[in-house]
Amino acid sequence: MKTLMISTTIILFCLSSLWGQELNADQIIKKVNDLMNQETVYGTMKMTIVTTSGKKRTFEYESWSKDKGEKNLIRYTKPARVKGQAMLMLNNADDIWAYFPRTKRVRKLATHAKKQKMQGSDFTYEDMGSGNAFITDFTAKRLKDEKMEDYDCYKIELTRKKESSSHYSRIIMWVIKKNFVPVVLDYYDEDDPSLCLKRLVQYDIKDIDGIPTGMKIIMYNKTDNTQTSLEILTCKYNIPLKDEMFTERGLKK
Amino acid sequence: MISDFRFPIFDWKLFYVNRNYHQTLRTHIRLLILVVTVVFIELNPRLIFSQNVEVFGYFEPQLMGAKIGSDFYQLSSNKLRVDLQLKASDNVSFGANFDYITYHGKTKWDILEFLPKSVTAEASTINLFGYEMNPYILPYEDKHFLDNAFVKFSFKYADFTIGKQQLSMGTGYAWNPTDVFNKKDIIDPTYEQPGHNAFRMDLPIKSDFGITAIYAPTEDWKYTDILLKLKGRISHFDFSLLGIQKQWNYTDARIVDPIAMNFYQMNTKRHILGADFVGELLGLGVWGEYAYNKIKIDDDEKQAYVNAFAPLLALSSYLYRPMEIKQDYYELVLGLDYTFDFQTYIMCEYYRNTSAKSDYKQYNFNDWMQYLSAETKSITRDQVYLFVKHPMTDLIDIGGSYIISLSDNSSAFIPMVTYNVFENVDLSLFGNYYFGKEGTAYASNLGNGGMFRLRVYF
Repeated sequence: MKTLMISTTIILFCLSSLWGQELNADQIIKKVNDLMNQETVYGTMKMTIVTTSGKKRTFEYESWSKDKGEKNLIRYTKPARVKGQAMLMLNNADDIWAYFPRTKRVRKLATHAKKQKMQGSDFTYEDMGSGNAFITDFTAKRLKDEKMEDYDCYKIELTRKKESSSHYSRIIMWVIKKNFVPVVLDYYDEDDPSLCLKRLVQYDIKDIDGIPTGMKIIMYNKTDNTQTSLEILTCKYNIPLKDEMFTERGLKK
Repeated sequence: MISDFRFPIFDWKLFYVNRNYHQTLRTHIRLLILVVTVVFIELNPRLIFSQNVEVFGYFEPQLMGAKIGSDFYQLSSNKLRVDLQLKASDNVSFGANFDYITYHGKTKWDILEFLPKSVTAEASTINLFGYEMNPYILPYEDKHFLDNAFVKFSFKYADFTIGKQQLSMGTGYAWNPTDVFNKKDIIDPTYEQPGHNAFRMDLPIKSDFGITAIYAPTEDWKYTDILLKLKGRISHFDFSLLGIQKQWNYTDARIVDPIAMNFYQMNTKRHILGADFVGELLGLGVWGEYAYNKIKIDDDEKQAYVNAFAPLLALSSYLYRPMEIKQDYYELVLGLDYTFDFQTYIMCEYYRNTSAKSDYKQYNFNDWMQYLSAETKSITRDQVYLFVKHPMTDLIDIGGSYIISLSDNSSAFIPMVTYNVFENVDLSLFGNYYFGKEGTAYASNLGNGGMFRLRVYF
């Protein structure tokens, strides 16, 4: 009996110390990365741009992602003006190809194109297809926890590594403690690390196939005073996707 | 300006036939029927097609103005393009589009007015029953045609596309030496290219490698266009190697065959070896394209040309020598681009075409006519294309291109503004200003002016 009590005490002590152990920045970012980059994802999205003059432009597209976000394919379905245009991003968006159905041409873009706005929105191609760039391109540092959007959050600062092709000098991220959803991200200027360019906020977080997912994402552009919202119309995780989809042949289909 | 507007480039080879009022009326009635049909299909697609046919396209009114001497001319056009797309099964899809274009305003342009006086002396006139006719009038006639119509079979190991289809090659932006099927418009190089009748096979070998084969039949099987392309990727670079056989017609625009009512042509066969690449170097986007173009003239073709000319040489005092045929030559494109943090995009492209002359005083009448009819891609040997674009707002882009001939020191400036007026409506404004001396590639007498283009997508 005495032995059993000692053993139980030791086990409880070990467990409590484990639960109480604080995650470091790298561990948190790894969990964020694992959550955001599922093996495969398919979704249909609606993107609404609100311009400085208050005009709205709406786009709809399908997106496919594979190998934990390393491969991404986006194809526009609406409006008619851009229907059929597609982007293929491989190697965490270090290789980008654009397809223009009117000319049937595929054009490979250099990484500087990642800075370009996606259809004039506040999302750049880097924002859409960066895969595990939070780990490969940035160094993580944990800051003091904060409450953000009514969630208890870890606050993480990501600083760009020297060899990175990212066009953000740093990113501040608020990660919900209970599910590791990065609910708010602040993106800072490439040359001026004190200048916050954009803020991304995830709203309406729901469980889709057991994975917490922000059903609405808004990117607020702090310099242009514009915003772009991204609504998830449908979403499926971890479905079978063929590798052929993520090739030039798949891009043109 | 004469090189700006989208010429029906081969039309000038035929004599202009005056259209009468009834023809014009019929044209407009057909256009009306087409518009009504499109609207009906858009509203009731299920009533028309048992299968899921997608109907889309655009309507594009366009107005061009050009200052020629002290006069300012206008030419407008209305283009309706209707696309059909059907995915019949996982393996079979069908695509087609129909273009309908009407022209208004100054619909007849005398090409000789734009060319240097030093070369127009070689131009011919036709005397038919006492009436002198000018065969160099470029007519803009209303037209409708099936631009593309193809079926595509997709299998695990290959895709086959059969029918009239767009064929685009190369990595260049303003020029494509390896694209033997098209000639880009320097004012708007991204404008869609016409369809070509061909059989195409795309064979992916791995995710990074593939083979494309194109067979485009011609009247005489000996001249059939054949293209073989190997495509691959090494690191962050895409590259292609191409081997092409292409029928190349050279028109001798100095004299008209009074029986065929056309200019004389010589069929040649050209063999082209090409390569291209695109990738990134030091943060800059870089690309290049090269094509070595070798001529092969069959003896019977040469003899036919000589025979055709023999009696005319005796009659025509201005024809002292046979047409100059472009011998073996090469084309080279090198380009780079960059996007700044403030979203401004810049591009620079260099183009060399050794079939073109480096001294503008040597450009002859056929050089000009072959250039204007897209038989050759440039009239001047070395050129640079500069392009800049900046998003002023989320809806307005401003920019422009500047084309410089390094060979004859002429240049052209093309400012442009594009505005997304409504969800599916784009407005584009182009200007064009030429700064060269008479006789140069971008001579000011080519006509300064501008173009307004509205495009409504459906």
